[in-house]
Amino acid sequence: MRRLWLLALVIGLAHAQTSIEAGRELYMGACSGCHGATGEGSQGPSLLSGRAGRLSHQAISTIIRKGVTGSSMPDFPLLPTASVANIAAFVRSLTSPAISAQLPGDPESGRTLFFGDGKCSTCHMLLGQGGHPGPDLSNIGAERSVHQLRESLRKPSARIEHGYRSATAVLPDGSTLRGVARNYNNYSVQILDATGRLHLLERRYLKSLEIADSSMMPPVANPEDLLAFLAKQSTRPPTQQ
Amino acid sequence: MKLLLLLLPLACAAQVTPAAIGNSPNADWLTYNGDYASTRHSSLHQITPDNAKDLVAKWVYRLDGAKRLQVSPIVHDGLMYISNTNEMVALDARNGRQIWHYRAKGAEGARVNRGLAILGDKVYFATADCHLIALNRRTGSLIFDVPYASFANGYTTSIAPLAIKNGILVGVAGGGSGQRGFVASLHPDTGKETWRFWTVPGKGEPGSDTWGNFPAEMGGAPTWTTGSYDPALNIVYWPTGNPWPDFYGGRRPGDNLYSDCVLALDADTGKLKWHFQFTPHDVWDWDANESLVLLDSTYRGKPRKLLVQANRNGFYYILDRVTGEFLHAQPFVSKLDWTTGLDDKGRPKVIPEKIPNPAGTKVCPSVRGASNWMSPAYNPATGLFYVVTLEQCDIIVASAKEPVPASGFRGTGNEGIPTEPGKFYLRALDVLTGKKKWEYPMPGPGVMWAGTVSTAGGVIFSGDDDGNLVALDAKTGKDLWHFSMGRSLFASPVTYMIDGQQYVSIAAESDIFTFGLFSPAGAN
Repeated sequence: MRRLWLLALVIGLAHAQTSIEAGRELYMGACSGCHGATGEGSQGPSLLSGRAGRLSHQAISTIIRKGVTGSSMPDFPLLPTASVANIAAFVRSLTSPAISAQLPGDPESGRTLFFGDGKCSTCHMLLGQGGHPGPDLSNIGAERSVHQLRESLRKPSARIEHGYRSATAVLPDGSTLRGVARNYNNYSVQILDATGRLHLLERRYLKSLEIADSSMMPPVANPEDLLAFLAKQSTRPPTQQ
Repeated sequence: MKLLLLLLPLACAAQVTPAAIGNSPNADWLTYNGDYASTRHSSLHQITPDNAKDLVAKWVYRLDGAKRLQVSPIVHDGLMYISNTNEMVALDARNGRQIWHYRAKGAEGARVNRGLAILGDKVYFATADCHLIALNRRTGSLIFDVPYASFANGYTTSIAPLAIKNGILVGVAGGGSGQRGFVASLHPDTGKETWRFWTVPGKGEPGSDTWGNFPAEMGGAPTWTTGSYDPALNIVYWPTGNPWPDFYGGRRPGDNLYSDCVLALDADTGKLKWHFQFTPHDVWDWDANESLVLLDSTYRGKPRKLLVQANRNGFYYILDRVTGEFLHAQPFVSKLDWTTGLDDKGRPKVIPEKIPNPAGTKVCPSVRGASNWMSPAYNPATGLFYVVTLEQCDIIVASAKEPVPASGFRGTGNEGIPTEPGKFYLRALDVLTGKKKWEYPMPGPGVMWAGTVSTAGGVIFSGDDDGNLVALDAKTGKDLWHFSMGRSLFASPVTYMIDGQQYVSIAAESDIFTFGLFSPAGAN
């Protein structure tokens, strides 16, 4: 089943003549050791950065083929042209905004889930509709790639944006305050609670403060409809620009 | 008690109302020029001439990537809001810690941004490509992003919007590039336009006969600074800029209404109630976009509602803001040579030799003007109007070349005179006569655009031309304190109070610097 929708995803994407999925397989074999399994970078640079996102398909192909002199990026002179193109297509897809992708999920079902049983809107807002503590998602389809969105839905704690870590503070009167730490250091903490109240606190007055390394968000096991819905969220859709 | 205050959740505080904006600045600073009357006079009085020497730096916030911040921060409910080109930030105003950051992704244009507006539970700012953006003030969540002018057609803006009871008022740049200016009121909840006043009349409309055959679409008269508002009269006062092309008027014979004007507009409909034009048929780029300061006073024996402005053309004006009647004008710079004076209606008698020509014409004040968008302040207790002034002349060259909008063409341009560098002064003028009471020279490279703030404590804060924030005695101009920011200043300071501590903040290139009186360690 999973293979089926992956196939549909691949077929639906704009550069149908090259295979992003084939590129992904090649990438996992030859590239992920240095650039990370999702392009996040390790020994090699991140492929998700703005700089990487500005590279054209041709520029990426040239780098794969010829390597980068003076760095540890090797050349691949014998790799078939089609394979180079497929890897380049995969690398490009890592940074393309989700709104430009054709996705197999049903965005309307995703919307129903978002504002209904999925309870996403308890914490997230879309153009003023929804709850407070999570990141605003009004423009998320233009800001995140499909890969990034899918990862955020499946593994919310894998990568937490600064300002959204769970925080628990015990106040001077012994009561407990829970929310997200929009910011904190040794001297102060700024906690946004679930009702949208912002608490600007000086740490020396607190009995305790815990900032968690995990997200408040539960993982989404089957995110395809939500993904299709979120990918469409853009304040300035490409046709307007 | 202090502890309780510190822990008070911000959501308990009331929504920002127009009445609160009208009563600002107090602990809060709620609109670009402090209050609807644009006095920039705060009721705070913790900092006085006696203790200003004890001011120390409290915090600095750096906005990564910012190059020339020109914002006057808004402060409310413990948060400070600042804006830069296509981005906006909320800070914990006690310590400069960032709460949220919003970047308008996809926004075009690189024009500077002068600030924002707050109303209800939203903060508003305009992107360089003329979208009004509304954000939830606590979370930075986007409420709407609505275009109000076409960037593709050349429109850009730097404006700090003005929030009134039923509208967020915005304007546009374009005096140097040939767009048609306008003021628009957008609904606070949706961004939908409720009215628009074009500052260049369309064909056949009143005032269109002041342009010859020049197309209204290229007329300029931009609206790039924040206006003032009188809630009792229900009138919005908005200043307009120069007609285009800036320095050559041959193709636009006539007064070129409503360039270089103050417009009195009905706040509900945008209908023009009256206008006053400071510089008819401007060929010197003397926008009238300086602050419009509103005050009520006994004038020549009877109580009057007044509007005053220190105009770029070198005159300080006093008008009746109910009727628009011209009451008085007084030069506030000594370098002023383009007119023999004003008639009893306030119309200048222009010296023909001062009209720019292809060979170049020396004119005083300079194109930057006797003052400009750097905000003045007015202290009712001293009766003084504090304004940063520039003593300078320019050589202006005019050209009859065919004008092409959005091409950089301005009818040619101006150049400084190397042997006569510009000199800045902070001047205190008698608000009812415009006569100088004291002045504070500001030696430096002649590049600053910093304005002023006045406080009930009797201290005036201003940027100077050498990159200092200075504190002066409001009565005498005596220097009380200064702090070098190490960079040129292009913004006006603000003041606010949290937990019993008065702060003074000013934007400087990439940073917000904030000061307050020294307090023993641990007390703040």
